[in-house]
Amino acid sequence: MNQGVRFTRDQNRKNLASWLLTTPALLWLLIFFLIPYLIVIIYSFLTPDIYDVNFEFSLDAYRQALGADYLKTFFLSFRLAVLTTLLCVLLGFPVAYYIARAKDKLKNTLLVFIIIPFWTNLIIRIFSWRIFLAYNGVLNDILIKAGVIGAPLEIMRTDLAVILVMVYVYLPYMILPLYSVLEKLDFTLLQAAMDLGANELKAFFRITLPLAAEGIFAGSLLVFIPALGAYLIPQLVGNQKSLYLGQVITYKIKNIPRNWPMASALSLILLFGVAVLLLLLFALYKRSKARRRV
Amino acid sequence: MKRINISQFYKGFNLTAFSLVMVFLYIPILILIIFSFNDAKIITGWRGFTTKYYLQLVENDAIKEAFRNTMLIAGLSTLISTIFGILTALGMENKRFSGRRIVSALIYIPLVIPDILMGVSLALLFNFTRVNTGMLTVLIAHITFCISYTVIVIQSRLEGFDYSLVEAAMDLGAKPATIFWKIKFPLMLPGIIAAALLAFTLSIDDFIITFFTSGRGFDTLPIYVEGTIRRGTITTINSLSTLMIGFTLFLVVITKRVRKVLISSL
Amino acid sequence: MEEIKLQNLSKQFDGFTAVDDVSLNIKSGELFSFLGPSGCGKTTLLRMIAGFEIPNNGRILIGNTDITDIPPYKRQVNTIFQNYSLFPHMTLFENVAFGLKIRKTPKPEMNDRVKDMLKLVKMDDQANKYPDQISGGQKQRIAIARALINNPKVLLLDEPLAALDLKLRQHMLIELMNIHDAVGITFIYVTHDQSEAMSISDRVAVMNHGRIIQAGPPDDIYERPNSIFSAYFIGETNLITGEVCDIESEYVQLRCPDGQGSSFEIDSTFHFNPTLGKEITVSLRPEKIAISRSKPRYQDDINMLRGVIEDILYLGSHTQYIVRVGALKFRVFSQHKRVYFDDKALDWEEPVWLFWHDTDTWLIDQIPEEVLSAKEISEGGVNHLSRSAKRQSIT
Repeated sequence: MNQGVRFTRDQNRKNLASWLLTTPALLWLLIFFLIPYLIVIIYSFLTPDIYDVNFEFSLDAYRQALGADYLKTFFLSFRLAVLTTLLCVLLGFPVAYYIARAKDKLKNTLLVFIIIPFWTNLIIRIFSWRIFLAYNGVLNDILIKAGVIGAPLEIMRTDLAVILVMVYVYLPYMILPLYSVLEKLDFTLLQAAMDLGANELKAFFRITLPLAAEGIFAGSLLVFIPALGAYLIPQLVGNQKSLYLGQVITYKIKNIPRNWPMASALSLILLFGVAVLLLLLFALYKRSKARRRV
Repeated sequence: MKRINISQFYKGFNLTAFSLVMVFLYIPILILIIFSFNDAKIITGWRGFTTKYYLQLVENDAIKEAFRNTMLIAGLSTLISTIFGILTALGMENKRFSGRRIVSALIYIPLVIPDILMGVSLALLFNFTRVNTGMLTVLIAHITFCISYTVIVIQSRLEGFDYSLVEAAMDLGAKPATIFWKIKFPLMLPGIIAAALLAFTLSIDDFIITFFTSGRGFDTLPIYVEGTIRRGTITTINSLSTLMIGFTLFLVVITKRVRKVLISSL
Repeated sequence: MEEIKLQNLSKQFDGFTAVDDVSLNIKSGELFSFLGPSGCGKTTLLRMIAGFEIPNNGRILIGNTDITDIPPYKRQVNTIFQNYSLFPHMTLFENVAFGLKIRKTPKPEMNDRVKDMLKLVKMDDQANKYPDQISGGQKQRIAIARALINNPKVLLLDEPLAALDLKLRQHMLIELMNIHDAVGITFIYVTHDQSEAMSISDRVAVMNHGRIIQAGPPDDIYERPNSIFSAYFIGETNLITGEVCDIESEYVQLRCPDGQGSSFEIDSTFHFNPTLGKEITVSLRPEKIAISRSKPRYQDDINMLRGVIEDILYLGSHTQYIVRVGALKFRVFSQHKRVYFDDKALDWEEPVWLFWHDTDTWLIDQIPEEVLSAKEISEGGVNHLSRSAKRQSIT
C-alpha cells in the first residue's frame, strides 16, 4: 500500500540526509587522511634523492628497514612502549582506585588535578624535566647540598630519563580510563568475596582486577601506541646514541640528505605493527567477553 | 598482639601512591614556575630573583608571532572541526544509516594510530602535490586530527539525548527547523563546547604534526619552543612556559565555569 | 467535536507486527483506554494517532478529516509522554508556553493563557522553576498543562502514571478525571495497569499481540469477557475446562474432569450456542464463589462443589483461599462479613463447600489456540499464589 511506500521513502530520505551531513567530514578524511597513506605506500617503493624522491621503483627501503641496521631502533621503541605501559599500569592503578573510592565531592577535584598536567603544553612539561634532571639541574643541586651524592648524577640524556618522562606524560592517559571502569565497579562485590572467605589480596586479584580489565586494555592502548612512535621525548631528554623509531623517521624526512622512501617504509612497518597489535588485542578482548557471557 | 587492619593498610597504600603520583606530576611544573624567576641564562641552580625574562618575553617579536599563529590555527581549526563534528554526529544519529560503518571507521582509525604517522603522511601529501607548506597546510593538518575528537565528543552527548523531547516538541506544533534550534541545539550545546575546548587544547598543544606540515617561517608556539630549546637559549622559555601553564589553569577554570553555567541553565 | 476512526491500522517493525489490522471508533469526549501487557501494540497505536509512527496500512480519521499523512506538528492532537518529556532547558512557564509561542500567539494573550493553565493544574506558584526542581507529580501536571493549552481535539496519555508511586497515582487518577470533565475533549489513555483503566475509562480496549481482543465499558469486559485472555488479564479468575454434556433452554451443563480420574458438573447460562460434546472453558471470578464449612441448602440454580483448603492468604479487606478439587485448584475470595459467616475460621486442609450462582459461570467461546495458554495461565497463576501463601503462613 502507499503508506508502506511512504515508510521506505521516509527511510531513504533520512539515509540521504545522513549522507549529506557526514559528507564534509568523510571527504575531508578521505583526502587528508586516507589518500596520504596511499602516497606513503607509493613513496616507500621509490628511490631517494637528496631533497626529494626519484620516481624509480625500488625495494631498497624495505630491504634496509628490515635489515640489521634498524633492529636496535625497533627494539628500543618496543621496549620503551612496553616499559612505559607497565609502569603506567602499576602507578596508575592505585591512583585510579583511590579516586574511584573517594567521596563524590572530592572525586571531581582529584580528577581535575590529574587532568591539569594533561592540559599543560607537552613541550613545557618535557622542558621542566630538563630543568629538574639536568647535570646542573635542581635534582642534582639538592642531592649534592644534602650530601647524598658527591658528584652530579648523569640522568639527563639517558634511556632512563626517556622512560621517566614518558611515564610522566602518559600517566593521565592510563589513570582516566582506569578510573572510569573502577568508578562503575560495584564495591559490594569485594565485600561479598570477603564474606565468602577471600582475603583482601585474593579479593583484589579475583574480583577487582578482572573487572577492571577493560580499563587496563583501553589505557594500555592509549599509552602503548603513541609510545611506539614517540619522537619529542626521546629527542629532548634522550641521547643520539640510542635513536627511537620516531626520531629515525623524522630525521629521514627533515634532515638532509633526505630519504623519504626510507621514512615511508619505516612508517608503514610501524603502522603494520600497530594494526597487528590492535587486531590481537581486539580478538583477546572479544574472547574474554564471550567467555564472561558463558 | 596488635593486629594491623589490612583494609586500612590497603587504603593507606592507595593514598600514599596517590600522593606520590601527585608530587611526580606537579614537582616539575612547580620548579618550572619558580625557575622562571631565576636570574640565569642556562639551566643551573638558583641565582637570584628576577622578572626580566618576562619583560624580554613581551619584547620578543618571534614569540609574539608564534603566539598569534598558534591562536589563529587553534581558533580556525576548532571552528571548522567543530562544525564537521556537529554535522557528522547528527548524520550518525540515524541508526539505519547505510554509511555508518565506513564513517565510524574513518573517525576512529586516526585515534589508534601514532600521531607521527599522520605527520609523515601529510608531509608526503604536500610534497607530492607540491603545495607550499605554511599556515594553510598546518591548518589542514590540525583540522584533520581534531575531527575525530569533536565527532566523538558530540556524538556521545547526542547518544544520551532523549528523543521523546523532539517528539514532544513536534506534538506541540513545532516544525523540524524550530525543533532543531529550540530543543536540540540548546541541549547539544554543552557537548559542542566540550568538543570545541578539546579541539582547541589539542591544537595549541600539538607539536609533531605541525612539525611535519609547517614550512620554514611559520612557527607555532610549540615549534618555536622546541627550536629554542634545541638551540640552547632557554631564558625566555621558562617565563613563556609559566604563562602557558597559567593559560591552561585559566582554561580549566573557564570550562568549569562554562559547564556550571550551562548545567544550571539546563 | 468529532469521532476518531481507526480503520484497518497495521504497523510492522522489521518483520515484527506491532499492530495488526485494528479498526475502532472512539466517541467524541470519551475517556478511552487501551489496556494490555507490554509489547501488545498499545503504545504503537497511540504513536500512530499522534503521528510519530506512520502506519504500514490503514487510515486514521478525526471526524471526516483523514490525518494519516499529516505530520505530528499539524495535528490537533497532543500527547502526555510516559516520562513527561519536559524540556530541561526551559522554565515551567516556558514549557507550557511552547505550543503558543510556536503558533506566534501575541505575548499578552500567551501570558494570560499560560497563567490560567498553570492555575488549572495548581502549579501557578512555581512557574519559574526548572523541570529538575519539581517532583514527579508536578511534572505530570506541567505536561498536562503544556498539552491542553493548545486546545487539542484529542489528548493522548501514554502510561502517564507509571513513574509515580501508588498514593500519588491514585490521587492523579482522580485529578485526571476532573480535568477530563473540565475540558470535555477526548482522552485516549494507554496503560498496562488494569485497575487504572477500569476506574478511569468510559470504555476500554483490551489488546494482545497487536490486536484488540475486546472493547467495551469496564464492567462489560469484567463481567462478560469474550476470551480467555480478557478474562485472565482483567482481574483474577478461575478458568475451568469441560465438555458440554447437556443443553437446556437457558442452561448448559459441562462435565469437567478433575484431573484425578473423576469429574464434576458445572451449570452455566450461555450467551452463544454451544455444541454438545464440545470442549469449552468457563471463567469464574473468585469473588463470586461462596465458601462454607457446612453444606449449603440445595437450590436449582446453584453450583456446589466439595474441596479441601490448601492455602489461606489473608489480604486485609478479604481472604483468598486456594481450594483443591481433585487436581484442580480454585481461587476464592471471601470478605470478612461475620453476618453471614459467624463461623470459626476455616483452617488448612479443611474440607469445604464451594457454591455459586449459575449466572456467574461465564462461558467463553474460545479460539482453539487459546486452550493451551489458558491452562498455563491458570495453573501458573495458582501455583505462584500458593507459594506466596505458604511463605506468608510461615512468617
